[in-house]
Amino acid sequence: MQKRNISPNNFEQCVKCAICTDFCPVLKVLPSYPGPKHGGPDGERLRLKNALFFDSNLKYCLNCKRCEVACPSGVRIADIIHSARDRYGEDRPSLRDWMLANTDTMGTLASPFAPVVNGALGLGVTKSVLDGVMKIDHRRTFPKYAGRKFTTWFRREAEAAQAGYKKQVSYFHGCYVNYNYPQLGKDFVRVMNALGYGVRLLDKEKCCGVAMMSGGMFDAARRNAAVNLASVGAAASEGRLTLTTSSTCTLTMREEYPGVLGIDNEAVRDDIVLAVRFIFEAVERGEVQLAFKEGFRARAAYHVPCHMEKLGWSLFTRALMERIPGMELVPLESICCGIAGTYGFKKENYERSQRIGQPLFDNIAQVRPDFVVCECETCKWQIEMSTGVEVRNPISVLAEALDLEATAALNHQ
Amino acid sequence: MKFDVIIIGSGQAGMQVAAALQRSGRKTAVIGLGRSINEVEVKPYEQLGGTLLIGDSVTGGIFDGDRLQAVRTANLGAYPLEADDFVIATGKFLGRGLVADMDGIYEPLFGLDVDYDPDRSHWFDADFGACQPFLRFGVRTDAQSRPSVGGRTVTNLYACGELLAGVSAVEGRDAIAGSAARVIGQLKPSDHAEA
Repeated sequence: MQKRNISPNNFEQCVKCAICTDFCPVLKVLPSYPGPKHGGPDGERLRLKNALFFDSNLKYCLNCKRCEVACPSGVRIADIIHSARDRYGEDRPSLRDWMLANTDTMGTLASPFAPVVNGALGLGVTKSVLDGVMKIDHRRTFPKYAGRKFTTWFRREAEAAQAGYKKQVSYFHGCYVNYNYPQLGKDFVRVMNALGYGVRLLDKEKCCGVAMMSGGMFDAARRNAAVNLASVGAAASEGRLTLTTSSTCTLTMREEYPGVLGIDNEAVRDDIVLAVRFIFEAVERGEVQLAFKEGFRARAAYHVPCHMEKLGWSLFTRALMERIPGMELVPLESICCGIAGTYGFKKENYERSQRIGQPLFDNIAQVRPDFVVCECETCKWQIEMSTGVEVRNPISVLAEALDLEATAALNHQ
Repeated sequence: MKFDVIIIGSGQAGMQVAAALQRSGRKTAVIGLGRSINEVEVKPYEQLGGTLLIGDSVTGGIFDGDRLQAVRTANLGAYPLEADDFVIATGKFLGRGLVADMDGIYEPLFGLDVDYDPDRSHWFDADFGACQPFLRFGVRTDAQSRPSVGGRTVTNLYACGELLAGVSAVEGRDAIAGSAARVIGQLKPSDHAEA
């Protein structure tokens, strides 16, 4: 008798309750979408019989993972859907899909010409061409490219000082910090240094691969995964955890490498940790002290990104933010913002993307916060574009609220 | 992280206890594998400042003698969640509060004592429409709704809902609500101060 579940991603455990269907944000705005139960465990039974049962509409899945969070039986529904896209999907990625997915290549090409690229991407004529030729929606605001990459800044301005700290961590900065928003990486380094930790880059870092998986480029994602896991492993062998500032990169490397790409990451999985969690735990254990600026006042709303919901770590962000004197943190309703990384840039998805996020935008308008706290960069693009309210990573909030000199003095005794 | 009360299970009974205790000023957290269609209690609970860990499951407990000190979860890994008191409301077989195998029926999280008939032939009634005997099996508790392990009461753990012996949704929701109300009575601040 088979006593234990041995099916990939727990698909045999589905009891057909359909609660996942009730929580699917795509199905709410696109009733013709098969939905998580149909496209996931139900469809998998059919696909195992015959690949002809593969439904190409599964590309409309946001991979928000809300189905998995809702599932009372522990079925990894989104992983089943994405594995099916990998095995049976026949759509060839277009040039657009390739450009949106290859964040490292595009970032490296664009960074040296950032002012020109940023200017051009903001022009109506460029947007029309991108829309007409590339099918990238003209209403989407592009994230700006930084003139100087985070890694360039780090090597020139920060690296030399890092060896002076007794405790060391590695940093997986991700594409967004490197090419678009180095300020977050700088905030991270400043905060960690004040807490008494030196920061090291990984031997080699590639995009976590989430955009590639979304665009159907699973083999390319596997190559990136191999590089990243080797680097995290090398850091771990020297006693360094790898900290991150993006919830999606974190979830991808911890959960999707095994679940979707079929790569065993067990040996290094727990060496990949979001910085907010790491800092909260260190503070709680009394290993580091925080000294806050006097007079910091903010009323912030907390949007838990879908992938943070799936990680189940939002309690750490909440607890850390609540330690800041003068900080009022209003929780927003748990709703997907709709962008799902590169998904919302695609012309065929743009309107659906905005309709999915509308209840969240309304909620933010009602709360009227000074800013929104959120660990995800693409939620940031979506919320800032759609509401005009600024979105800050909790690490940047911490960098602003901390008296960094006083904190450093406390932690260097 | 330390809470006053951690509730394991986010079904009808678990949410009823969590919302009532949070409303009465206690700092609570709910750990629940999955959501339910009937989420009337969830939004008010979160607005009251309750901590909801949905999509997570308890992997084990840390005991100090007869006291449950902390629980670990799948999502949080080695990080323990501590509390003064715990409530378990994980349901019966469908909710995985109880597990049956060829050798018997057990409670999988802490190995709590379960009331059931060891003779398998008595587990079910051949009349499909009858109230099936296995639906009356469940965790045994003392007069204060506290379950036991190997006959020894866990002094700060309370059980309610369908997990209990004799309580089943098939016979109506009142018994579930009643069992939750008894646990709320045990854990509300005023009662707690006297205890």
